[in-house]
Amino acid sequence: MRHYFSDAPKTALQASYWVFVIYLLLPLTLMMAMSFKDANFIAFPIGDWTLGWYAKVVQDKQFLEASGYSIFIALMTTIFATIMGVWIALLISAEGIWGRAAIFAFACLPAVVPGLINAISMRIFIRVLDIPTGTGAIILGHTVHAVPFVVIMVLTRLRSMPNNLIDAARDLGADSFIAFIRITIPFLAPALVGGMIFCVLTSIDDFVRTFFLGGYQPTLPMLIFAKVQGGMSPEINAMATLVLIVTAAVGLYAEHFTRRSRT
Amino acid sequence: MVDSSMTETRASAPRAGPAYAGWIGKVTASGLYSATIGLVANSARAKLVLLLAVPLAWIVLLHVGPIYQMARISFLDNYPPAAEGPIHTLGNYRLFFQEPLYFLPFVRSLIFAAVVTVAALVVTYPVAYYVAKIIKPQNRTRALLLLLIPFWAGELIRTFSVIMLLANRGAVNVLLREIGFIDRPIPLLYNYFSLSFGVIYLLALYMLLPLYSAIEKIPPQLIDAAADLGAGPFQRFRRVILPLSKDGIVSGCSLVYLTSIGVFAAPLLLGGPNSVIFPEIIASLFHGSSDKWPEGAAFSILMLAVSLSTVGLFMRVAGGRSVRLM
Repeated sequence: MRHYFSDAPKTALQASYWVFVIYLLLPLTLMMAMSFKDANFIAFPIGDWTLGWYAKVVQDKQFLEASGYSIFIALMTTIFATIMGVWIALLISAEGIWGRAAIFAFACLPAVVPGLINAISMRIFIRVLDIPTGTGAIILGHTVHAVPFVVIMVLTRLRSMPNNLIDAARDLGADSFIAFIRITIPFLAPALVGGMIFCVLTSIDDFVRTFFLGGYQPTLPMLIFAKVQGGMSPEINAMATLVLIVTAAVGLYAEHFTRRSRT
Repeated sequence: MVDSSMTETRASAPRAGPAYAGWIGKVTASGLYSATIGLVANSARAKLVLLLAVPLAWIVLLHVGPIYQMARISFLDNYPPAAEGPIHTLGNYRLFFQEPLYFLPFVRSLIFAAVVTVAALVVTYPVAYYVAKIIKPQNRTRALLLLLIPFWAGELIRTFSVIMLLANRGAVNVLLREIGFIDRPIPLLYNYFSLSFGVIYLLALYMLLPLYSAIEKIPPQLIDAAADLGAGPFQRFRRVILPLSKDGIVSGCSLVYLTSIGVFAAPLLLGGPNSVIFPEIIASLFHGSSDKWPEGAAFSILMLAVSLSTVGLFMRVAGGRSVRLM
């Protein structure tokens, strides 16, 4: 009897887990399924199935251009955000720095400010500085948003770095530049890879910043948004499914990589 | 002692240190390197300046600068300012409190974010507990991974996928009609229901992960001890598990609250005319010409101040010192 009672909550918890998994996966599964519908409107039941939408999407010039543009922005964002993130993290972890907590707080500011406010303040900022909207502004906006996350990841890793590694390198004749390149950077590698993949994914996914900072050339989310607003067809589902598969594969690789390097 | 003398010799004389292989060797062997980077790398003060200058400039210019400019413009009566010079005013802030068209959506937004936060907490708590405490440790990563998959899809794609479920000819309505439960579709989309459903769908992970890491840290012996002393499942939860997972609850709630206040794609795609929340109002002030920018900036500052102070207060009251947002 006692056994029965102690098991009941467990079963309930297990059920809640699976219900939640279904809740998370169901909309995306439906969205993917709809991309195979052989009709030019979105509605259940699906009825006839086709691969035609995919054939159309992979030949769609707009889609290919938007993909290339998104990837370019993501790569630029990643490069700048990684450099600045590591730099700020090194500053915060340096010895004898005054006001460390304040620097950390301000370094994290763009991550705690709600996304819309972040985007709007950046829109005002580039207007004040006379920077035109478009590619440069998007990259700037994405970079500022990504830097705090790189800082946090790198700082976490730096805290577990033994001080004597650098001292040993210095004793063996390396100056601090060499020590940085040969000791610190390799030690940070897992955090760097994790941070970079995070930068790529958030930049490719970003909607609100691109919405305010972008020019006439659409990124992937902007293209999908425009298509959703312009009348829905399963073509959007095929597009979104392709994007989803690629980003999920990158995310899965990142998860795999960081877990392997942790052990 | 030894260290300082070594630094001096290295700083003054050209370095005859070890030679390195690969590109590092080429870089360090070049004259340019020993003249510039090598000098910087060996001088403590130059290093400090290099370490300080760029990151501080970045933070001041690009992390604080935009917020500062937004605050500055919120006090102007016109942007771009008139040729005679800017006129400073509090009118934009006054307008907010005088005009229910602005004020009410703001209140709605705060309530909406609070409801979403509480709902996300209630929904994800049992899931986090199950993964952290009941699943066998060797299966834990797999169970977590299953929950992470949807979050690799972007904000927009996830929002869009909610339409598949809730539209008039979406899965739920079609299924209900098939079983004969309803004759005409229930309007699930373009209202508060679809909006909160979508936002919880977007943000559940931000609640789940802090909860998971807090619950995982609770020593199982404490729960066993409570059971041995006669506490039933409910009492164990209320007196042991809940207080000990407070850190996770506080950081999860703060994250979800802050993020849900600023959601933008979800109200555009899932909201309707009756569920206008504040982000849409702010965004509409920034469309097209810039004559409404000062108002939009003032509203953004108000929203930022209220949301950050709400979360700050919440963390102070509920969490004490041990809680960090990240």
